[in-house]
Amino acid sequence: MVKLMQQSWWKLLAIFLLCYTVVGGLLFAVPRLNILNETIRNLYYHVPMWFGMIILFTVSLVYSILYLYRGKLSDDLMAVETANVGLLLGVLGLLTGMIWANYTWGSPWNGDPKQNMSAIALLIYFAYSILRASIPDPTKRARISAVYNIFAFFSMIPLLFVVPRLTDSLHPSNGGNNGFVVYDLDNQMRLVFYPAVMGFTLLGLWISSLRIRLRLIFDPNYNHSSL
Amino acid sequence: MPRLLKEIVWLIRKDLLLEWRQRYALNGLLLYVSATIMVVYMSVLQLKPATWMAMLWIILLFVSVNAIAKSFLQESAARQLYYYTLVQAEAVILSKILYNTVLLLVISLLAVLAYSIVLGNPVQHKGLFFWAIVLGAVSFSNTFTLVASIAAKAGSNQSMLMPILSFPIIIPIIALLLSISTASITGKDSNFNNNLQVLLTINIILPALSYILFPYLWRE
Amino acid sequence: MLWNSLLWILWQTSNTPEMADALRQSGKIYVVVAVILVIFAGIIFYLFRIENQLKKYERHSQHLN
Repeated sequence: MVKLMQQSWWKLLAIFLLCYTVVGGLLFAVPRLNILNETIRNLYYHVPMWFGMIILFTVSLVYSILYLYRGKLSDDLMAVETANVGLLLGVLGLLTGMIWANYTWGSPWNGDPKQNMSAIALLIYFAYSILRASIPDPTKRARISAVYNIFAFFSMIPLLFVVPRLTDSLHPSNGGNNGFVVYDLDNQMRLVFYPAVMGFTLLGLWISSLRIRLRLIFDPNYNHSSL
Repeated sequence: MPRLLKEIVWLIRKDLLLEWRQRYALNGLLLYVSATIMVVYMSVLQLKPATWMAMLWIILLFVSVNAIAKSFLQESAARQLYYYTLVQAEAVILSKILYNTVLLLVISLLAVLAYSIVLGNPVQHKGLFFWAIVLGAVSFSNTFTLVASIAAKAGSNQSMLMPILSFPIIIPIIALLLSISTASITGKDSNFNNNLQVLLTINIILPALSYILFPYLWRE
Repeated sequence: MLWNSLLWILWQTSNTPEMADALRQSGKIYVVVAVILVIFAGIIFYLFRIENQLKKYERHSQHLN
């Protein structure tokens, strides 16, 4: 794993994809829509934050399961650092979403289900950090927080399937708001959107890999473990 | 399996006996409920049906968190170590979940009774409402029992950890319970069956996860 | 809210929604692209410097083991 983290090809790929996102996201044609106008380009920068957050939280979940399975302290390190960067992306997604919502929906917080859902996901992972901070012993901390991570992750299932449908969403493809469905189907936008998701996720993994390698060397709790 | 079942029955009897001997815990919870209801009554006096339901679930949420938080704290670490030599970890968590379900059912029903007396009851479909309360007690018990054991194992400041760890997890479940129980006032809407299915699914997944994960907490 | 709905009515009456066409025609959008790319390049440069420092320490700690 350390070998893969040290390799640069995927970091160069991240840089390439993100440069493409900046250039293509600002210059390529986008659908002309009311209310949104040019802000529709936020889709390339705001939404990938959420995708990146969910992907990083999923990686964190996988390593928590692995920790309980084989008890390697380095798996715990992977779990916590991916969760930390997931939180970073999540907070950025929330802030950018509030800015965008303020301009297009009229206020930063509209009780929109997707917004609420992301806020809950953030609360869960902040609770995860607080739980970790309250346990001094490293192996005990790893075990207990892994259990919480797994339990909390699966308790978010209703968020994904139901709560968004409890009320009408202002986000696309949830009914209401016809104008917004258009960009869901726009192929031109997908050409930038998917690379953007990949680029931001890889950037997140890169940052977490830096912290993991740093702690493997300098953190006395981890520097005897190997990946 | 018979061994597991026997151990569960033994543990539940033990918990019931303990509860009966130290009645102050149960009485404390009932006092907590009454005081909270009085606080709601004194601050609003009259409630719209939707707010009535929301307030009820908030009261039940706080009571449940307090009731379950103590489930792993009542007994000393030494005594828990003693149980460890006697029974399987799976029996411990399943018995706690079952016991907490019964405890919450009793407290919830008493709370609803007191709440209806003080603040009135706008419910139209009594049966549906009753089952929503039962489902609430089951959901709270399934969710909070493992979190309580996590908070208890974390050591120093359990009383603060319990709400921090459990509230984010319970929010989506509360939202489902609220929409299901509100149907007892306004009638079922198109989402009703769907929400009920997801809530039941969650109530299968969470105890199953507790069953799988608890041995990792218990082991030390 | 009021301002938004007012603008919305305005756009409804014209044929197509208003976009930043002038910004594109004058080529000034490239200034924005350039600025963002420079900032991004700076951040990447910094990340790679951390990366290289880390590699040095990693080599060092491998010698110790």
